[in-house]
Amino acid sequence: MKKQLLLLATFFLLTHAVRAQFEIGVSGGYVNNYVHTNAGYRAFTQYYQYSGFVAGLVLQYRFNEWLAIQADPSYIRKSYELRRDHFFNGIYQYNLNGYLQLPLMAHFSFGGDKLRGFVNAGGYGAYWISGRVKGAMANVFSSNPDVPDNEQASDYFRYNTAYRYDEKYSFDSRRDRRMEWGLVAGGGVEYLLHKRFRFFAEARYYYSLTDQQKNYMINQVPRYNDTYVLQAGCLFNLRHLFHGDAQ
Amino acid sequence: MKSPVSYILPLLMILLMTAACRKDLPQLNEPQDYVSANFNEVFDAFWTGMNNNYVFWDIDTVDWDQVHRTYKPLFAQLNINDSNDVRKAYTYFKQMTAGLVDSHYDISFADTWLADSNSVNPAFQRKRASPDYHPRISIFHFYDTIPTHYLNAGRRGFTNTPDGRQYVAVSGTINQNILYLYFSGFNLKTLFNTDTMNGVKRVEQYFFDNLAQRNDLKGIIIDVRGNGGGSLDDLNFLLGKMVTQPVHFGYTRSKLGNGRLDFSPWAPAYVTPQTGAKAITVPIVMLADAWSISMAEMTTMAVKALPNGHFVGERTWGANGPLTGNKFYNGGQFSTGWLNLVYTSSLVFKYIDGNVYEGVGFPPDRAVPYNPAALRAGRDLQLEAALSLIR
Repeated sequence: MKKQLLLLATFFLLTHAVRAQFEIGVSGGYVNNYVHTNAGYRAFTQYYQYSGFVAGLVLQYRFNEWLAIQADPSYIRKSYELRRDHFFNGIYQYNLNGYLQLPLMAHFSFGGDKLRGFVNAGGYGAYWISGRVKGAMANVFSSNPDVPDNEQASDYFRYNTAYRYDEKYSFDSRRDRRMEWGLVAGGGVEYLLHKRFRFFAEARYYYSLTDQQKNYMINQVPRYNDTYVLQAGCLFNLRHLFHGDAQ
Repeated sequence: MKSPVSYILPLLMILLMTAACRKDLPQLNEPQDYVSANFNEVFDAFWTGMNNNYVFWDIDTVDWDQVHRTYKPLFAQLNINDSNDVRKAYTYFKQMTAGLVDSHYDISFADTWLADSNSVNPAFQRKRASPDYHPRISIFHFYDTIPTHYLNAGRRGFTNTPDGRQYVAVSGTINQNILYLYFSGFNLKTLFNTDTMNGVKRVEQYFFDNLAQRNDLKGIIIDVRGNGGGSLDDLNFLLGKMVTQPVHFGYTRSKLGNGRLDFSPWAPAYVTPQTGAKAITVPIVMLADAWSISMAEMTTMAVKALPNGHFVGERTWGANGPLTGNKFYNGGQFSTGWLNLVYTSSLVFKYIDGNVYEGVGFPPDRAVPYNPAALRAGRDLQLEAALSLIR
């Protein structure tokens, strides 16, 4: 029964979508994520941006020539790095965070018949689905041989050896807020090929309004993702795909 | 038909207005930088220092936000230039920290009006209030009674260091073939590596020579009763001579950010074999008691992780987190203008069985309680229990 309902819904959506200028496609690209926070008075410690990727679907519903609504269900890596420097050079951690994300945007396009510019603006919701931490720390229980009198230490690993790790991130339900909401805006160009395919390239910015942490302590330093994306993709016009170029 | 601009402009307005919804980033200041001109600043310096540097928030039951809500208004009513208020502040510090699990924890004060006051040491206060509390076994028991009543031959000695500390050590054989070592504090490597001979070094030399040269040993007893801990380097220096393969006995982790729950991953803790190490396969028995603290506990845990390791005595003190300067692991001890030192662990230690024994102490596999009557009679029931494990 469930299967039949699903088939029926899909059929209705497809036929309705065909009538309603529905376009579907895929996209992917490069991500650079900054975490908006500060390291306070932690000695020789700073947060830095870290790169990632995004891949997903593009669903577009066109109201008219210049206005559409677009949703991009996708997987995106919003990572960052915590790094120490000077004598602590070599101590770092990459936080590689994976999100399932759904941006919902108004899509405004302008320009000629083939080559058009566009602007996207809207909001998004994302769920922090997985994480990985990779880095190096000094292991207090693993000492290097003493520094001879006629030598000097260049970094902290000369005293305690480095422990290098690459492991799954363990979520802490007291701290981690896994649902993220935010704003998204982007702009780019699209090229229409044979009315069936629309290739596009876009620069996009995700501005998180949600702290990655729950409010669990006084004087908490929030962490917000600021995510820059360069992506490209292709949209397929379902009407033209199923009915040729006939009007 | 409406122009696109009529849609885009309102949308942009909404986006810009929503963008202002982010919380501001608070400015965090180094506790040392607060000016101790009034008790408001004194409280903020201490509370912030603890908020960002204490490494046990993950397991501690003290509600630090509630401490802020309760004590900030109380400190605000105090005058730092009034000796009665300074005494009251001392009491507040005691109350605020009474339940902290860190058993290294100790606050010493810079204020001259508190010069005659003890430092605030919550673990000690808890121990003293416990029905099982007993004083340390006298140093003379180890220095005089054990050599007289139990050792066949051996060495004993002490060394006074420039920082005003005294280290005592005793080593010898029991029943000719059980090698015994007692030392009062962990400074073995430093004292051994001095250019000149000293009392403790002589004892260490005796112990290491016997360990390396004798093949007829039936067991080894390392006695850390009453041992207050010390240098982490001594773990490898001492136990690293008895193993030829690394011994995994636990994990440590440190703070990684300012949040109370921001920690590094768990790094494995190993005993690393030293040059010239000999694989000891005969029983190694740790003797430890309720006054075995910090490195004395970690050494006991490391031995217990050996297949031939045993632990006889009492549950240890419960201060297992290694200590070093704050900057090295971004957490732990700190100072403020009004507090000489908030002495607290830099890392959390977890034993290989997955338990954190901070605040509760490491349990013996053969419990033998403190017996003052036997000690007065020259008998050491804990040592005798250790011997019975070897025989």
